[in-house]
Amino acid sequence: MKAIRLSFFQMLQYMRRDMMLFVACFAPILAGLMFRYAIPFLEIVLTDLFNLPAIISPYYALIDIFFAMLSPVMFCFVSAMVSLEEVDENTAAYLFITPLGKTGYLAARFGVPAVIAFIITTILLPVFKLTSLSFVEIISLTIGGTLQGIIISLLIVTLSSNKLEGMAVTKLSTLMIFGAVIPFFIKHNIQYVLFLLPAFWIGKAISENTPFCVLLAFALSAIWIFFLLKQYLQKI
Amino acid sequence: MRLRGLFLWDIRFQAKYGFYFLYAVLTVIYTIIILAVPENWREKTATVLIFSDPAAMGLFFMGAIILLEKSQHTPCAFAVSPVRPAEYIISKVGSLATVSFVVAAALALAADVTNLCIVLLGTVISSTIFTLLAIIIATNIISLNQFILWVVPVEILCFVPAILHLFQITPGWLRHYPLNVCMEMLAGFTPSIAGIFLVMVLIVFLFFLSKHCVVKMWNGMGGVKL
Repeated sequence: MKAIRLSFFQMLQYMRRDMMLFVACFAPILAGLMFRYAIPFLEIVLTDLFNLPAIISPYYALIDIFFAMLSPVMFCFVSAMVSLEEVDENTAAYLFITPLGKTGYLAARFGVPAVIAFIITTILLPVFKLTSLSFVEIISLTIGGTLQGIIISLLIVTLSSNKLEGMAVTKLSTLMIFGAVIPFFIKHNIQYVLFLLPAFWIGKAISENTPFCVLLAFALSAIWIFFLLKQYLQKI
Repeated sequence: MRLRGLFLWDIRFQAKYGFYFLYAVLTVIYTIIILAVPENWREKTATVLIFSDPAAMGLFFMGAIILLEKSQHTPCAFAVSPVRPAEYIISKVGSLATVSFVVAAALALAADVTNLCIVLLGTVISSTIFTLLAIIIATNIISLNQFILWVVPVEILCFVPAILHLFQITPGWLRHYPLNVCMEMLAGFTPSIAGIFLVMVLIVFLFFLSKHCVVKMWNGMGGVKL
């Protein structure tokens, strides 16, 4: 436990050097303020401009889903970048043979940031939400977002062997989040083409008010994480 | 000859690290999005997609490209080779603009845009501006997280006015803002002479600034974190 704590603080020091720590602390609040106040303002401007009763407001629930994913994806992405730098510099291999070990390394780089992101989102989502979400919905969205963040960071570190490949994988893997958009816009059965994406089921749960779909999202996320972890451990 | 070699090396580098695979996948996804939206929205959707991704790919990847080159000690080799900073920059701009051009052409054809030549010219010009800006940032950073942070204000300054301009919610005088001129071209409109002049002035300024930054980076090799 001490090794995990020390390794996590070492990562924080690394992030502090890049100002990333400062940004990671304030970005969710800034984004939350923008989501909470700028989007409704933009809705007023746009509805006036185009003379329509609603443009963005039917999708406020989707914006809440994105906000629930924002902090976990950002925190896990930053950790994945640090981890990629450690692989590039060959320091990760040395950390594995210290008392930290592979499991401790994974906990320090992905587990702890995910838990922190979960706590932050649980606090911020009720403050900045645009729709009336119940406590259970808030927790479900936060868990879904956190699992999504872990999946993206594991995809980055598993499928790439350096920073450049990491950026390419980041671009592709963040598209997974947009699975949440589909149930809001495509009602035809063709939407199920994306059934493997956990975000798709979260979007479906909120857009169609079917809480059961959240459980599907959790189960799918667990499968993704299990296979990615297995691949990552084989790789390192 | 040197420039051709550099250009081909950059193309190989991009292919090796999966750029072409990535953009092939993204092109398919973006095409599906364009075909999925209502017909009267297609052209605007394609314009936003081209401007924010293939045209701006330099802003996303240049930090990783230059940092990877640093970790492979390539700038040290460049510093003692006959390669000139201008050639290095032109090769980077040219190779990324080529990918942007091909992806933009596919998306523009999917959206059935009215003025394909202007759209593609706008893509190349936008890509040049974004790549030059990215080189300036990437040569001054020491980690990927730092690059990602510095790119955010640049993206805000480039994207927000241009996207607002596309939807005609900007004041008239902002029409000559270089990125708005690029956006107009991507939307298929012929730009004004004054607009094109300002875009050219910006490109020349960014080129010389990036040249200065590349020289500084090459001269500073050895004391930075690789």
